Amino acid sequence: MLEYAGSQRAGLRAEREGASLLAVVRSLDWLLLAGVGGLVALGLWAVAGVTKFDVAGDPSYYLDKQIVYVSAGAAVLVLATLVDPDLYRRYWRIVFASLVGVIAIVFVVGRAARGSTRWINVGFFTFQPSEFGKLLFVIALAGFLAERQRALGVVGTTLRALGLGVIPVLLVFAQPDLGTALVYIAALTAMLFVSGTPWRHLAVLGSLGALVVVVVLWAGPAVGVDFLKGYQKERLTCFTHPSTCPVDARYNVEQSIAAVGSGQIRGRGPNGATQTRLDFLPEHHTDFVFASFSEQRGFVGASLLLALYLLVLWRGLRVITVARDLYSAAVAGGIVVAFLFQIFVNVGMTMGIAPITGIPLPFVSVGGSSMIANLAAMGVLLAIHGRGRAGRFARRRDR
Amino acid sequence: MASTAAPPVRRRRRGDADGSDEQPAEVPYRLTPKLARRIGMLGAIVFVVFAALLLRLWALQVLSGPQYVQRAQANQFRTVRVQAPRGPILDRNGKVLVTNAAATAVELWVADLPKVYKRRYEELRELARVTRVPLYEIAARIKRRRASGDLLTPVVIREDTPKAMIGYLEERGSAFPGVQMERTWVRHYPYHDLAAQLLGYVGEISQDQLRTLAKTGGYAAGDEIGQTGIEARYDGYLRGVPGQARVRVDSLGRPRSARTLVTPVQPGHVLRLTLDLGLQKAAERALRYGIRLAQDDGKWAARGGAIVAMNPEDGSILALASAPSYEPSVFTGRVTERELDAQGLTSRTALEKNYPSLDRALDGTYPPGSTFKPLTAIAAMQEHILSPYAYEPCTGTYTSPDDKNHTVFHNWDPNVNQAMDLPTALAYSCDTYFYGIGNDFYELPADRGQPLQKWARAFGFGSATGVDLQPEAVGLVPTIGWRKRHFASAVDKLWKPGDSIQLAIGQGDLLVTPLQMTRFYAALANGGKLVTPHVLMDVENPNRKTVPTPVAPAPQPIPGLDPSALRIVQQGLLEGTHLSFGTSYGVFGSFPVPIAGKTGTAEKVVSLPGYVGKQDQAWWCGYGPVTPAPKLVVCAVIENGGHGGTAAAPAAERVFAKFFNVKAEQVGPIHSD
Repeated sequence: MLEYAGSQRAGLRAEREGASLLAVVRSLDWLLLAGVGGLVALGLWAVAGVTKFDVAGDPSYYLDKQIVYVSAGAAVLVLATLVDPDLYRRYWRIVFASLVGVIAIVFVVGRAARGSTRWINVGFFTFQPSEFGKLLFVIALAGFLAERQRALGVVGTTLRALGLGVIPVLLVFAQPDLGTALVYIAALTAMLFVSGTPWRHLAVLGSLGALVVVVVLWAGPAVGVDFLKGYQKERLTCFTHPSTCPVDARYNVEQSIAAVGSGQIRGRGPNGATQTRLDFLPEHHTDFVFASFSEQRGFVGASLLLALYLLVLWRGLRVITVARDLYSAAVAGGIVVAFLFQIFVNVGMTMGIAPITGIPLPFVSVGGSSMIANLAAMGVLLAIHGRGRAGRFARRRDR
Repeated sequence: MASTAAPPVRRRRRGDADGSDEQPAEVPYRLTPKLARRIGMLGAIVFVVFAALLLRLWALQVLSGPQYVQRAQANQFRTVRVQAPRGPILDRNGKVLVTNAAATAVELWVADLPKVYKRRYEELRELARVTRVPLYEIAARIKRRRASGDLLTPVVIREDTPKAMIGYLEERGSAFPGVQMERTWVRHYPYHDLAAQLLGYVGEISQDQLRTLAKTGGYAAGDEIGQTGIEARYDGYLRGVPGQARVRVDSLGRPRSARTLVTPVQPGHVLRLTLDLGLQKAAERALRYGIRLAQDDGKWAARGGAIVAMNPEDGSILALASAPSYEPSVFTGRVTERELDAQGLTSRTALEKNYPSLDRALDGTYPPGSTFKPLTAIAAMQEHILSPYAYEPCTGTYTSPDDKNHTVFHNWDPNVNQAMDLPTALAYSCDTYFYGIGNDFYELPADRGQPLQKWARAFGFGSATGVDLQPEAVGLVPTIGWRKRHFASAVDKLWKPGDSIQLAIGQGDLLVTPLQMTRFYAALANGGKLVTPHVLMDVENPNRKTVPTPVAPAPQPIPGLDPSALRIVQQGLLEGTHLSFGTSYGVFGSFPVPIAGKTGTAEKVVSLPGYVGKQDQAWWCGYGPVTPAPKLVVCAVIENGGHGGTAAAPAAERVFAKFFNVKAEQVGPIHSD
């Protein structure tokens, strides 16, 4: 059942000696890097148009901010590329503890915005730990899986992984931030999947998930226990039963769909995009940025954006295949699926094919935490790729 | 942590589906077919997700795009801001100092202008002719509004429009598409240039202000906000809360219905100041009178000044006059460069008009001259280097025994040769007496520090008074360290006997504001407490309920101040106004209410157009009634006004006369220090 080979210390060490930093840089996935660069550039262009009229008298208010975030994120990306991911594997317990700690801190010192406590104010910057948490979560859980890699077929391993993963998920859910909690769950599932958890376990997990949904949505309220906030439930039921949905709750989705649709093929441009400019579209620089961008730049712009996402995802999947060990493969899998999940839920939400959750669109939504965390995750992917390939070249030379 | 003791395990190379090929344990992790399959599945999921997204995007934008364009255009309601009327500013007795007047503004909806260039041009040209607003100005405003992207706010062509123009435009409404009349409020100043610098003016929010205020919230482009003075300092109380109205708009943002209020407009709060309208008027009249006296005396450069009248017990300011002043109504309605020029409010004419926007009472710095002597006296007594009732010589000149250059310092009266005690020396304002004290301060050993400067700072010199007005100058108390930092050459860096001697009579590098001086005399009057001057009395909301406001800090007793030293100085100040040799006896000697005070004539190097030279700044500071307890402290400065007794004291006397409601016979100004 278990077909993975355990990575032997000696073997790893030999590889690592070959994988000097120079080799890592030489065997970077330039296509992935180009895709990320393209996304960041397109994202900045999108923000420039979307927020042009948001701050009276300062059309580049958000753009300037976002450029600062991108600069910081680029530095983090370089750093993450240079660090050997094996370091994270060895210290995954510390990573996990700090992940739980930093999310828990929000409850103590956090700043509430729109009914949700997700932000920590650190002076010049409000910091949203759950965004960085996505990466920390993947790094830590993959560490656990790599440690137990010879017992991956055992039920205990899967259950323990689940037990570990549930702690941050529940903390994020309690903020309340349902969307990000779902991202964590998607990443966890992907890591189990990539590390070779048997299908039986996955099937049981799937049905367990379905059971949770049933309990939260129907059984809980039926016996008088509400797990979800009213607006969260409303959003979900609006998505499943649009006709029974109150007008106010449907408003955002309808405005968003109208914004996307009115972009047509070439877009209406920042000046003519009335949905955005006249503020009919709420949150058009954060959660609904895709709708606003589609309104301004049309099918041409929006499909270019999707194509760039697809490029990054394709290269990301490829990184899993060249990973040098199970740990790296699991990390890459978690990052790629979390990325995919965020794109789908956010873009789908603006077009009415996914429920409304407060998930930012990677590389486009205005926000420092999201931008820096996503660039860091791409840095980790590049690091895994570089070392996987670098190791291979080194081996090839040995023979 | 990883499997150190792992047994050799099977490993499959990519493409080796049968897995028969056994390798030693060191061979690392490789892609297995199972993993490859699973990654393939992930790839399939990615493909499905993107196919779904792209299809949906295609369906929305390409297939039903036109339908959604229509839906976007049918979005009809939009909320707009409705400005709140600004709160009035009252004096302490509830008399109105600043209020609002109803006005009619001519506004233009840019989107409604004719589309044909020629017709648009003709309309705008006609509008410019009727409203007497230059066409280029209208065009610039339209351009700015277009650039800002705000289509829902009309361009204001003329805020305060005369009735005749309104009538003309209304009669010919059809010839002016897009033009509408809107009822607005403009600031109204019933007393014109009264306390103009203090009250400040209101103007449209600037780009910079918008950027800084946007963070605090509640401000939007086009808002009128207080720009200076009280209007700026208490803008938060005065401006009220704008309401929100709903208006039906079409897809271009053009309004298609009347506004319906959604959230009500909250008018601004009523601000009550500690100013007394009557006394303020009297102070401004007195200031003009003082300037005229100085000019009559041949002081051609006397063109400005300041008078502060304050309650010595709590620091509430009753009058704060600064001359020259300006007419703040030039900032209401249509603001034109020409009108600002005429008032000296632009850099082009400010010098010529002697800087009318400068509030000299708190932002003008002058050497205090002899009005500073009470401080020197207190410091000397506190430091035990002066015996107040010992007789010291008062002579025509003084030379410091320490001074190797033998610089000769002159008394204002060169012919005197008499021994004086401290009260007499204060009353007579004997310079040489205080030169001696200054030299004694200089001779103090280094470990005694700089007590004269220390006491000056204890009485509030060299620091802001904390008055609720801006901007405020801090002045300068020169110290040994300051000289070292400030000057370049070795000889200038050195603190010399002359520096202490000059400082003792309030000359040299010392600079104070009239408000700091008033605060010092208030401390002399109230038994040694340092007050925080303030002009805000209270704030009421439109329903006449008092709103909590920041209160001025309570008067602070000056630590370590000896009450007997203070009493001796008070005696000297009373003798200065009541004994025949007192320097302001001629003005206050027969005043029905006992006033104590001190004249000052301070030399200052001034630079005027075509003239650079020394000019005397006329000072008078004092308080009254001496018994039972002082109720008013007044400081008057006449810029380049010559002798304090000639120009400043008579001006201050008029303020006291108004305050105590008495008529006084003036013995006549006497020429003195």
